[in-house]
Amino acid sequence: MVHTDLVLEDGPTSLQSLDKAMGDVYSDHQKDLKSITRDSGYDSLPNKLSILDKLLHTHPIWLQLGLNDSEASEVLHSQPPGTFLVRKSTKMQRKVLSLRLPNDCGLFLKEFAIKESTYTFSLESSGISFADLFRLIAFYCISRDVLPFTLKLPHVVAAATTEAELEEVAQLGLNFWSSPANKKLQNPSPLQKPLPSESISKGSQQLCLINGVHSIRTRTPSELECSQTNGALCFINPLFLKVHSQDVGGSLKRQCPRTQDVNGSERPRSPPPRPPPPSIHSLLASPQLSRTVNQASLPDTVDSSRHGNLDVLQKRPIPIPPPRLKKKALSLEVESNAKNSAGAGLSCNIVHGSEAVSIPGGAPPQQNLAESKKSLAAHSESQVQWNGGRQRLSDMSLSTSSSDSLDFDRSMPLFPYDGDTNSSLEEYEGESDQESMAPPLKPKKKRTSSFVIPKIVKSQLRKVSGVFSSFMTPEKRMVKKIAEMSRDKRTYFGCLVQDYVSFLLENKECHVSSTDMLQTIRQFMTQVKSYLSQSSELDPPIESLIPEDQIDVVLEKAMHKCILKPLKGHVDVMLKEFHTADGSWKQLKENLQLVRQRNPQELGVFVPTPDFVDVEKIKVKFMTMQKMYSPEKKVMLLLRVCKLIYTVMENNSGRMYGADDFLPVLTYVVAQCDMLELDAEIEYMMELLDPSLLHGEGGYYLTSAYGALSLIKNFQEEQAARLLCSEARNTLRQWHKRRTTNRTIPSVDDFQNYLRVAFQEVNSGCTGKTLLVRPYITTEDVCRLCAEKFKVDIPDDYSLFLFIDDTWQQLTEDTYPQKIKAELHSRPQPQVFHFVYKRINSDPYGAIFQNNIDYHS
Amino acid sequence: MMAIRELKVCLLGDTGVGKSSIVCRFVQDHFDHNISPTIGASFMTKTVPCGNELHKFLIWDTAGQERFHSLAPMYYRGSAAAVIVYDITKQDSFHTLKKWVKELKEHGPENIVMAIAGNKCDLSDIREVPTKDAKEYAETIGAIVVETSAKNAINIEELFQGISRQIPPLETHENGNSGTIKLGKQTTQMTRRCC
Repeated sequence: MVHTDLVLEDGPTSLQSLDKAMGDVYSDHQKDLKSITRDSGYDSLPNKLSILDKLLHTHPIWLQLGLNDSEASEVLHSQPPGTFLVRKSTKMQRKVLSLRLPNDCGLFLKEFAIKESTYTFSLESSGISFADLFRLIAFYCISRDVLPFTLKLPHVVAAATTEAELEEVAQLGLNFWSSPANKKLQNPSPLQKPLPSESISKGSQQLCLINGVHSIRTRTPSELECSQTNGALCFINPLFLKVHSQDVGGSLKRQCPRTQDVNGSERPRSPPPRPPPPSIHSLLASPQLSRTVNQASLPDTVDSSRHGNLDVLQKRPIPIPPPRLKKKALSLEVESNAKNSAGAGLSCNIVHGSEAVSIPGGAPPQQNLAESKKSLAAHSESQVQWNGGRQRLSDMSLSTSSSDSLDFDRSMPLFPYDGDTNSSLEEYEGESDQESMAPPLKPKKKRTSSFVIPKIVKSQLRKVSGVFSSFMTPEKRMVKKIAEMSRDKRTYFGCLVQDYVSFLLENKECHVSSTDMLQTIRQFMTQVKSYLSQSSELDPPIESLIPEDQIDVVLEKAMHKCILKPLKGHVDVMLKEFHTADGSWKQLKENLQLVRQRNPQELGVFVPTPDFVDVEKIKVKFMTMQKMYSPEKKVMLLLRVCKLIYTVMENNSGRMYGADDFLPVLTYVVAQCDMLELDAEIEYMMELLDPSLLHGEGGYYLTSAYGALSLIKNFQEEQAARLLCSEARNTLRQWHKRRTTNRTIPSVDDFQNYLRVAFQEVNSGCTGKTLLVRPYITTEDVCRLCAEKFKVDIPDDYSLFLFIDDTWQQLTEDTYPQKIKAELHSRPQPQVFHFVYKRINSDPYGAIFQNNIDYHS
Repeated sequence: MMAIRELKVCLLGDTGVGKSSIVCRFVQDHFDHNISPTIGASFMTKTVPCGNELHKFLIWDTAGQERFHSLAPMYYRGSAAAVIVYDITKQDSFHTLKKWVKELKEHGPENIVMAIAGNKCDLSDIREVPTKDAKEYAETIGAIVVETSAKNAINIEELFQGISRQIPPLETHENGNSGTIKLGKQTTQMTRRCC
């Protein structure tokens, strides 16, 4: 859609805009040097607002996902060319970038579809992808790539120097576009950026720039440089691992001679990398390793400035070491990433140079500061020279922070839905069974190197993650954010979760059965998920940070963390109580005993079965499973058990066994393990696992495990060859029914089922209780409930009060406390408030309300 | 990019009729890098093109022994299709097949696509079930029917192609949504196309 000849026309202007923009987007180099604080792009220095900052602060203006076609054109019509909105096109069913064109273009508006992959956001027809929408837009503010010209921020936003200014305009939301704030100062030449004369560096004459941005191209691992200091930060994108796996095989040593060639010495010029924090993988961080790292991460500035072009770069040695050195080299690459060198072993994405500049700042040792400055200064010179090809940006695959893609959970999908390598469990073999699911230090022999590498990289990443938190993936960041929100009672979401959790903990008697309890929890998680994705409480909206098909996955993970984690202990206890009370575990225990006395053939097993050692291994896995709160991780362990069973069954015979053989063996193994708790585990997984995961391999083996347990529960000698009792069958049918009915989308009203009420007595102080209430319950009914709960003698003496702003308001009988709560929560400034049930005529100040006790609902 | 639809297919039939062999043959015959290794042969996946879609079959094998019969509902719930297998050399297995069809009609997902596979057709000299019987029966219940040999790779591909054709195409959005659509959750709501 854009032609290459246009690229060159932009040359001179963009040269300057480049430097300006780089300063803009990623903060000033000098400042970084002084402060040595790293800048992820999100948290910038106080007085310098990057484009990314500006976009983050003002998303209520330009991120208008709900805007329809005609509204968008109405808004943009009166704006100068270059003005943009991001919205969701109902026609195309995807997000689009709506761009105002100059008046002479015929059309005044053009829309560019935004493509969302599992990992990234990108513009349709462009090869450059980004970890989130903000990075995408920031990039297109400085480079046009497939656009006819760069995006332009509204003048008032571009000119803003403080966050307060931005917040002010952001508050206007969509109204901003028609407000005087926007109207009064429109830039007459919107496509020109101011020229920051000071930032043109000496070497810039030699630059070959494309539309103001370094030419950045994807390089295969063989082209990558660990020691390059041109400022590009490389990321390893697992998507490309396979493609370039044939590049693996270079030698680590080969890059060192280059350094020597040019500098004549191996003396490190940059501070040695900060040693990774101790971790379970510290085995790898041998002294030898860190020495290698030093060497490899030499900022080769002289070299860069002399031969700073890609032709040379392409001839550069391959940083991938021979197999035995792989771990070290990868660690080296991670380290050198952090140091801003261009190295990374695998197919890569390169972030625009200067972001990297700020990264070494994790906390370099003081004595290295000077060196660091020196290398960085050299770096800033060399970085402009690094480039050469006139390749269009869109020919590259680039991702601004796709270190993100290294997330374990993504790169090692569990279920078929997650990716291509899906159902394979082989990758997990040999891994430790820790909750962290740490990657194995030893790759399984069967796997090719292309599969082994990401695990190691990841383990190395984990090591440094404490220092370089920008390696946190967008999902992890999102999960963390949601988990934090869930603990913050000033948010509506936090209240919901906290109220729910405390309700469950306080009201043991509220569920009639284990399934009832688990179902309610599952339902709550599903509801909260849909609340989070529909409400505006997540700011910026989750759609702007997480690609659409991943949103549910991320939210599900967050739910596990903020709901299942705090409830895990309680649920375990309750499950045990339920099963002990209804006698089902007693029966199961007896039957386990009975089944264990059978020989395998009597159970229909005619293939090799796991021996004692294997059964012990399986037991260990099941015990690990018990410690986990995430149903998905539990399922992952179950899959490992199944894999082990299969390995034993097949016993190198090469025969493929189907369910006819597998199910009896699984039953046999479950009986051999003799763990009552397994019953609770299976129930936990079946009820709490995201229903959408139930069709895949996890769902299949979970179903089989449930089946195996059902068989044991119903095992009676005379029954062995007969049908299961109809009761089990009914359970299964009900279970299916629940799965299908659970899918209806809940309304926000569903979340208002909990009300926290404090009970205040002059003598006994305050006690709080969480009540389960209907959304439109009246104060009268709440009072009745309270009278019962708090065991009040004369209910007429008491009433429900709202305590807010240090004042008491008695609620009249026909008001709706839940509505009041919702209204209070929707206020822009969150206020602390409490519903208090207390005597009507008592002096409000007679008993001082204790603010330090958290009673707000 | 073509849309990928995940279709859950369950395999039913007496033990020993060759359910697993059919799947193994189907999944592994043409070695294809897209096939992901799985834990075992009781759950396998294979993606095949169908029109402008890709159908990813998630194939659930069930244990055919009588004692496991009552577990079957768990396996076939949510299935878009069921492959019911009998052995042409065993009249009994054809009888069991009829029971499965009846059960699916009563308790199975609405609109489930049924495919009958008369396996072991390489052994037609000791055949007990005439082809005609199976054809007539299949017609009465509106099922696909085909005689297969997992051993000699006869009609295996065709069996699954037949299923693919019976799965109604997606209603795409008017304006070409080229993104990948995952349909794991919707397979239960599939409507049957008459053809």
